[in-house]
Amino acid sequence: MSTPAALFANITQNTQIAPDIYLMEIEAEIAEAAQPGQFLHIRCSDTFAPLLRRPISISDADKKTGKVEIIYRVIGQGTHLLCQKRPGDRLDIIGPLGRGFPMPEEGKTSIIIGGGIGVAPLLYLAKQIAKDHKNGHLPLTFLGFATKQEAFGIDFLSSLGIKATICTDDGTLGYKGFPTTLFKEHLNQYQDKSNLIIYACGPKPLLSSIKDIAAGEHITAYLSLEERMACGVGACLGCSVKSSQAGYKKVCKDGPVFEAGEIELE
Amino acid sequence: MTDNTDLTVNIAGIKMQNPVMVASGTFGFGNEYKNFYDINKLGALVTKGLTLMPKAGNPPPRIHETPAGVLNSVGLENPGVEQFIAKEWPCLSKLKIPVIANISGDTVEDYYKIAKQLSTLENLAALEVNISCPNVEKGGLAFGQEPESASEVIKAVREATRLPIIAKLSPNVSHIQKIAEAVVSAGADAISLINTLLGMAIDIHSMGPVFCRKFAGLSGPAVKPVALRMVWEVYEAVSVPIIGMGGITTWQDAVEFILAGATAVAVGTANFVNPIAPIEIIEGLKTYLYLKETNLHDLIGAAH
Repeated sequence: MSTPAALFANITQNTQIAPDIYLMEIEAEIAEAAQPGQFLHIRCSDTFAPLLRRPISISDADKKTGKVEIIYRVIGQGTHLLCQKRPGDRLDIIGPLGRGFPMPEEGKTSIIIGGGIGVAPLLYLAKQIAKDHKNGHLPLTFLGFATKQEAFGIDFLSSLGIKATICTDDGTLGYKGFPTTLFKEHLNQYQDKSNLIIYACGPKPLLSSIKDIAAGEHITAYLSLEERMACGVGACLGCSVKSSQAGYKKVCKDGPVFEAGEIELE
Repeated sequence: MTDNTDLTVNIAGIKMQNPVMVASGTFGFGNEYKNFYDINKLGALVTKGLTLMPKAGNPPPRIHETPAGVLNSVGLENPGVEQFIAKEWPCLSKLKIPVIANISGDTVEDYYKIAKQLSTLENLAALEVNISCPNVEKGGLAFGQEPESASEVIKAVREATRLPIIAKLSPNVSHIQKIAEAVVSAGADAISLINTLLGMAIDIHSMGPVFCRKFAGLSGPAVKPVALRMVWEVYEAVSVPIIGMGGITTWQDAVEFILAGATAVAVGTANFVNPIAPIEIIEGLKTYLYLKETNLHDLIGAAH
């Protein structure tokens, strides 16, 4: 795992890409170390309002250009302040943090399933898998959004040669329904499922559904979780998720990506 | 020039190079912050709260942000004293700064046993006795709310160890001075305060408490004025050294606590916001003392 740093990064871009969804690009030396599935812990305010940092997953990183991207949804006070920042402003970050997605082993078929803002970390993952072409396959990608307007990342995936299967809750783009339903149907075409590896990020019901399918079909699945965090580095034990063994795991340090069997999602 | 400033303090035999410590439960066992600075620059490190047996802690959610503060309901999740000694202590014992173990118990006997076990560790600087955790079913806060029970716990720990004892007091009491006097007569060598303030949050969507245990502990800048007032009161009641904490975020906050009577201060929640806060506070203190042409010892309690 890479060593996290606390630093100020220069913001080079912060644009709205969908209603309430923004893409921010920063220049930071951590671009080199950032792995898909890891996150940045961002201080959105110089004051105590809000006090805590906000964990935001990395949606792309480029070693050559030294740029890191995040895609975030404006939900509360922190992200509202974040979306008001302009190119040239400094961003107070700690990162890259957490345990990211492990890359698929040679010969595996990767399946990516994402919902809503959970699609963000999967974009970087898809890029890394696509680049790492020794596996022979581009990742099969199923993405779900509430509605057409809220969809993002599709062009990014196209540029990698990945044709994602899209669905929306209201049917305004792609299929009407959930990505998990489409994925389930897709699964039927495999005689041997042992070669598959699943990567998922999205709302709890999506993750629970993937966890159940993976357990039933004996497929390895990696889930990226979201939880309120304080420290982000494993010191405060605030962001706990029930372990399938005993006790709790820390989302910030043991995750945010977990093997589906490691954790319990209630 | 400010590098020559003498920041050393001695709290009941714990020799510290500066008065800035990190508060229990905000710094794990020291591993997490090594990436950000050399933790040997701290005055002292206080471990995550330890119990006799491992503790899983409370179910999520454990954290809830409030204006300038954080409510937590972690519930003393820790590996238990045996695992601490086997897994964490080898690394901690190599630090050049004093390491203080924070201990909790369900019963007075628990405190005695854990104190006895930790006393075998060479290099352990002191025990901080937590009689003020609001997030557990038994013990914790209950011990710290009455002078009699607080005194009973400290007496048991005194019997078990020759290490310096720091009694960590709760702000959730009517008469903090009485508790402070009781723990000092029971054998405490120093007092640290405050632990978190009992608070709660309600989810207006589910229309129920946010936390499973309903109440949680409030910390962060929001509690600073309360903490400062209590340090002031305790300074007037007892003569043992005080470690002040509660919302300390900047060096100015630290100076206020020292002026109120603290010999040392601890940085807690601020670690989560600004991981290098303790270092910035040490540097700020040096500059302040230099510019004021004074020394740390003359500053302690100077506002009285």
